Amino acid sequence: MATLNVNGVQREVEASPDTPLLYVLRNDLQLIGPQFGCGLAQCGACAVLIDGKEARSCVTALSDVAAHQEITTLEGLPARWAKQKGLSADEAKSALHPVQQAWIEEQTPHCGFCQNGMMIKATELLESNPNPTVAQIKDAFTNSGPSPNLCRCGTYTAIIEAVQHAATIMAKGR
Amino acid sequence: MASISEKPMDVFGATLSRRHFLKAGGILAVGFSVAGPELLTAGTSQRTTMKNSLDPTLPSSWIEIHPDNTILIRTGKNDFGQSTTFTAYRQIVADELSVPFEAITTVIAGDTDKTPDGSGAFDFLGGGMPNIRKAAAYTHQALLDLASERLGVPKSKLAVKDGIVSGGGKSVSYGDLVKDQQLKLTIPVKGSLTSISGLTIEGNPPMKPVSEYTVIGKSFKNSVTSSKVAAKETWATDVRLPGMLHARVVHPKTLGSTLVSAGKLDQAKFPNSQVIVKGNLVGVVASSEWEAIQAADQVAKDTKWTDWKGLPGNAKLYQQLRKQSDWTAAPVQKSDDTKGSPAAVLASAHKKHSATYELPYMKHAPIGPTMALADVQADGTVHIYTHNQNPQALRGEIAKMLHTTPDQVIVHAYPGPGHYGRSNGGNAGAEDEAVLLSQAVGKPVRVQWMRADDMQWSTQSPAAFSDIQIALDDNHKIVAYQADHYMPAMQDDRPVGAVLAGLPTMSAPDVHSGGATSTVNEIQDPWIYTSVPNVLERGHGTFQVGQKASPIAVGLRDHSMRTPVQYQQNYPRELAMNEAAALAGVDAIQFRIDNARTGNKKTDSAKAERLIGVLNSVRDASGWDTRPSPHSGAVSTGPQPVRGRGVSSLLRNGTYWACVCHIAVTPDSGVIKVEKYTIAVDPGIIVNPLQLKRQVQGGAVMGISHALLEEVLFDESGVTQYDWNSYPILTMADIPEIKVELINNPKVGSYGGGSEAANALAAPAIAAALHDATGKILRRLPLKPEYVKAMLST
Repeated sequence: MATLNVNGVQREVEASPDTPLLYVLRNDLQLIGPQFGCGLAQCGACAVLIDGKEARSCVTALSDVAAHQEITTLEGLPARWAKQKGLSADEAKSALHPVQQAWIEEQTPHCGFCQNGMMIKATELLESNPNPTVAQIKDAFTNSGPSPNLCRCGTYTAIIEAVQHAATIMAKGR
Repeated sequence: MASISEKPMDVFGATLSRRHFLKAGGILAVGFSVAGPELLTAGTSQRTTMKNSLDPTLPSSWIEIHPDNTILIRTGKNDFGQSTTFTAYRQIVADELSVPFEAITTVIAGDTDKTPDGSGAFDFLGGGMPNIRKAAAYTHQALLDLASERLGVPKSKLAVKDGIVSGGGKSVSYGDLVKDQQLKLTIPVKGSLTSISGLTIEGNPPMKPVSEYTVIGKSFKNSVTSSKVAAKETWATDVRLPGMLHARVVHPKTLGSTLVSAGKLDQAKFPNSQVIVKGNLVGVVASSEWEAIQAADQVAKDTKWTDWKGLPGNAKLYQQLRKQSDWTAAPVQKSDDTKGSPAAVLASAHKKHSATYELPYMKHAPIGPTMALADVQADGTVHIYTHNQNPQALRGEIAKMLHTTPDQVIVHAYPGPGHYGRSNGGNAGAEDEAVLLSQAVGKPVRVQWMRADDMQWSTQSPAAFSDIQIALDDNHKIVAYQADHYMPAMQDDRPVGAVLAGLPTMSAPDVHSGGATSTVNEIQDPWIYTSVPNVLERGHGTFQVGQKASPIAVGLRDHSMRTPVQYQQNYPRELAMNEAAALAGVDAIQFRIDNARTGNKKTDSAKAERLIGVLNSVRDASGWDTRPSPHSGAVSTGPQPVRGRGVSSLLRNGTYWACVCHIAVTPDSGVIKVEKYTIAVDPGIIVNPLQLKRQVQGGAVMGISHALLEEVLFDESGVTQYDWNSYPILTMADIPEIKVELINNPKVGSYGGGSEAANALAAPAIAAALHDATGKILRRLPLKPEYVKAMLST
């Protein structure tokens, strides 16, 4: 039995310690944000935040994550934002994370399969750099993780625009 | 329930029947009756009501209008990120019915038991006449007839706005018209439900005049995007059934290996796993996903296969393709644009361009490997939960494999990673394997391909080569154009698990296979340089490479990928056009305009006008400097980047395209960086500017990725790439500034296919830019550093 801290909730998991976190999240905890793209940390579809840092859940063993470490999946982004901004419970319920709002307003996804990882990467970036330039966005999505975050539909332009849009929403505080 | 029937009404060839119900409720359901070929191609010849389908002989629903004025639409086309079914289809229906976009509250797409028409996720706008538009037009006429009767006002005096029919000082809402009645409109259709193109609505109901569109042309958002972004959408990957097992497949060692012995499972290590063998299909099922992966790895290491070396390998591909393929496998095709006698003109021309162009195999490479969950039940009913571009065709294929009828098979369609054509003929790879494993264990089984399975066992876009000849006259214009396009069969829709298991499938592509799966290579790149007097374009087809030699009939299987066939024909044509312009000493954009134009602007054809429109647009938007290529400062050596620009153009599905790429290339390394990509598109009427722009941007990125990076590498036994490092695609850091010019052209009177073709424009434009920058030409793809460097150093 392992204990995980996922999206602010302690969860007990019964799985062998070498099980990749991705399968624990998807199959045991029904958290479907992260997707299986390659199983090799080469694409980013499975990304989650662990203590605010993007991690590839497909190559992160269950035993690699300590009980005190905070795992945030796509499902946990709204609560993460609400906590950071001190929103009331009611406000938090109806709010999406600014990154998610921007992804919708900019109509960023095509098939959308990689976009979990793209939104996780955007959140990581904007938490450390609230107003990134295009060059910084390109660098973050290409060089900061274990591999570039790959999109086969070619939505990179829309992602850049959405990151910039999210930055403006975050700057307004909502 | 008591009801009163009334005499059926004729609605432009469709039949409207009504029954007044004495109780509340009511719905106007637009259904269809079968006219034309058999409904089902696989398994049954009976034209009877099919179980688990929308009833084709009784009216069933394309469009439902509810008493509360909400509307539901259904389509067999399963959106894969194009957004069309959730935006354009709603807009089209809204305008035909004169209701707000928001009135269409529900879109049901793809599920074989809940949608009427089948067909695949391609050509959504159907040459301006998608099924859903005709269904809406018929419905609109029926509603007007009902309103005329209800209000006592002649139909010609009625007007509709926001779903309210008014005339003679009276009005009634659509909802009120259908309340307490069951109304059935029977409309004529033809086609075959489980074929690649499904059913098509017939007849010519009056359409709303284009000038009255109010919903088409606006940038509505895709409702599914919101649920995906919020992690609220159920993807195919998310579906779980009680008692479900996870599975992985151990695919053969080569594309021609047969099984010698399946590996023995280490039962102590994997107590909840089981090996299933069916012919050459080896699967491992387990109660947990992680155990299935590990157990399959262990079994794979212990499984013995025969060796096979029946492929040419990359190095000898084009040589063997030309010399050793059977180019008599299909009759030579000529395009409709054939005219004059190019051979004679070419023979006597003193200024002539003649060259061969080569394109590699490319992977569709969906970002998630294919997967499917199948549940073969005790009574023989098969449920498949998957992401698929053509669920009805999959249904037919699975029925064939199981010696059953399509009514026994239900495909539940969910969102998934884009396939870019790979499953438009009904399967992407894992569906049949999931069915066979589920059948073997009597439980639902979920097969997930790993990345290596998807790289090595999926189909690919076929390699091709073309011989192009262009003769110029003394006025620097083209007097003759001759193209011979060679390509193996484009589309193999045999489910590979069924092939491995030795179970029935459709035949491998040959001259007798129908449509897309034939060895026949049709000319699919419409000729656009209309003033050229002598034109001959020929398509030469053959069998897939290695398929006949493979003991398991596999080899390099092909499948259409985004802008199929046309991509393979347009790249050589457009690069040759740039070379011919250089030979003529004319600017490459002006050269295209000169060869489209009749010489007298007033007599230019509509075709020429639209081509010239996109060329002018891309010239202005890109900051194109008008001059011949190569650049006067062209350099093919050295460590400093040199710059150039190139152009390409294309006509597909009624849409005109032109593209300019500005590049920097470093001769010593051969590295090309695309710095600016400008594209102009005239689809006629633009249905949804925002979604079109996004799709074009995406196609641009995919096209640059194809042009610079993508090539399937294979040895004599199979594909040697197995992950994203060995088959790289473009990253965000690699993308140029992308500028999209949308040209709304209502006088065309219709909407052309939107965005699919955007991927085809980059390769010839970048190759031309390389020539412009260096003065040297590379006539093969991809333009990867190794090939560019080698070419520049010769």
